[in-house]
Amino acid sequence: MRNFLTIILSLLGFIAISQNKQILYGLDDVPQSLMLNPGMKVTQKKHYGIPFLSQIHFNGGSSGVSVYDIFKDGNDNINDRITKKIFEMKNTDFFTATQQLELINFGWRAKNEIYFSGGIYQEFDFIAYFPRDMAILAWEGNRDYLNYEFDLGEISTTGDFMTVYHFGVNKQITDKLTVGARIKVYSSMFSYRSVNNAGTFVTTLGDENAENIYEHTVRNADVSVETSGYASLRELDGASQVTSEILGRAFFGGNLGVGVDLGFTYNISEALTLSASAQDVGAIFHSKDVETYRAHGDYTLNGINLVFPPLNQGESTFPYYNNLEDEIEREIPIDTLHNSYTQFRPVKINAGLSFGFGKFNSSGDCDCLNMGGGTLHKQNVGLQFYSILRPKGPQMAGTLFYHRRLTDYLSAKATYTVDSYSFSNVGLGVSADIGKFNVYIAADNLIKYSNLAKAKSVSLQLGFNIIIDEE
Amino acid sequence: MNKTLSLPIFAVCVCLFFTACIQDTDFDQAEDIALTPVVELDLIYFNLRASDFFDTINSNPILTVRDTTEIKFLDDSSLQESLKRAEFYFRFTNSIPRSFQVDFQFLSETNDTTYVSGTSVSEGTSTTPVITEFVENVEGDDILQLTKANKVVVSVTIPSSDENLEGILNLKSKTTYFLEY
Repeated sequence: MRNFLTIILSLLGFIAISQNKQILYGLDDVPQSLMLNPGMKVTQKKHYGIPFLSQIHFNGGSSGVSVYDIFKDGNDNINDRITKKIFEMKNTDFFTATQQLELINFGWRAKNEIYFSGGIYQEFDFIAYFPRDMAILAWEGNRDYLNYEFDLGEISTTGDFMTVYHFGVNKQITDKLTVGARIKVYSSMFSYRSVNNAGTFVTTLGDENAENIYEHTVRNADVSVETSGYASLRELDGASQVTSEILGRAFFGGNLGVGVDLGFTYNISEALTLSASAQDVGAIFHSKDVETYRAHGDYTLNGINLVFPPLNQGESTFPYYNNLEDEIEREIPIDTLHNSYTQFRPVKINAGLSFGFGKFNSSGDCDCLNMGGGTLHKQNVGLQFYSILRPKGPQMAGTLFYHRRLTDYLSAKATYTVDSYSFSNVGLGVSADIGKFNVYIAADNLIKYSNLAKAKSVSLQLGFNIIIDEE
Repeated sequence: MNKTLSLPIFAVCVCLFFTACIQDTDFDQAEDIALTPVVELDLIYFNLRASDFFDTINSNPILTVRDTTEIKFLDDSSLQESLKRAEFYFRFTNSIPRSFQVDFQFLSETNDTTYVSGTSVSEGTSTTPVITEFVENVEGDDILQLTKANKVVVSVTIPSSDENLEGILNLKSKTTYFLEY
């Protein structure tokens, strides 16, 4: 238990945040921005991601606590700090980790001016809400919480490991409007979720007529964990077998799903541009290797009632303890089900309003980058909105950004983001073209980089592409 | 901006990403993390009638009645490691006009006695039941003995009884487990 706690706490802030790629959104210098809005304005003619290196994305966060909060160097006791945090945090606080690795990414502009793009990426996504009552029960016990109803429904967590195959189209249909769509096929390698749980546990002092001192009552319990891709792993022997089995599912071997990304970019005026997108509108249909564990029912525990039966020599009394265990299992059975289930993907919404100024003409007379006819601005400022649908409702973030094309081979974007984690998240992304070779890196929470322990979230994307501009 | 200037800028940005550090923290403190829950849990309860102490068929008094239950969680290895103290609380409500001796004998799986405890219960009357409370605090080396047990034998002894004896001896009990993980 302690080791588990240590691992969880140590991971806070290092892994990755909840999928918001506010720096990459709208950053048209980087082909991967097309993954965030399939309807963005594409400036290049072709691109190829360097396999396995075209996008490496980490994002991790914890809305209620940082590593520093727990492990800071100080005279006070670490257990006091944990106690304080447990009571400070709410059941809507959460821990998330997301990781994505692009295996392949490519795109080209066809003769009909449609920009086609496609690829494969692998994604890991995890979220766990803070089960405050369970944490209090584990940390403090029930002695000081008589009559307090511990909420079993606070348990809410999901985890997914999948491969995504995608193909998208993008076209500028009028001077002002560019639209795009991307279809995705998900191959889920491993997935679990425990959401929509319910029930309470309470210890009350029995009155005069009660059978014993206390009544320990579980009421309306309904707690389930749905898994897919897990049952068959249990029988495997050793890590190498598990790894090869999981990787085998990467190529359409797992549970399949479909989804779509949609997006557009609209030039309201010469300077003002509106864009928006929805990603992962879809679902995964878990039917293979599915196992659901569900515990439900009501039960009141009073202890063991001795009845002192008259016994002859050698006779044994009632098996009170086994009877009690049987009774609990009967009243709150833990069922193992094999029902298929449908899991909706966490839909992500991005939107941006950008104001551009200063004409950018990268190559002298011929404005080669700018085949669409609109103006590429030297500088852009604007607002962005991000939202991801999570089990307990959407998580949102607002961003102010400044994007500047420094030279024809270097551009940078700075962001200031307000989200569930903090009000002081400054991010910076840089994209450089060295010949046809493009490299980009984007990270947020830069203010906290001098001491990552204080950061409640970290997000990082980097990658390498080959970009071929219009000739 | 010319090339000579922007390359260093890019380099600085990249450096920034890779020089991020963790300061003013001490991860050795993880060793000190201790969960110390205090758990209240019902134990056993019973209602013994005065008539349970008299065999009406043979007209013989039964001076001691005895019953046994397993308490399997007690010798569980994880509880053995984490239990620091256990406080038993017994509350007898006696309306039988006799005092009682009640003994608790903890036995291991192989029926070796690992821990014993007991108390006397004051005599009551049918109109005004008398409450006797008894607390047994177990800690230190005794915890090792207690957590070797996985059953408890409860013996209730009455000094004398007859067929006209009336009343009820009620027991309610709980244990407070002081744990540390």
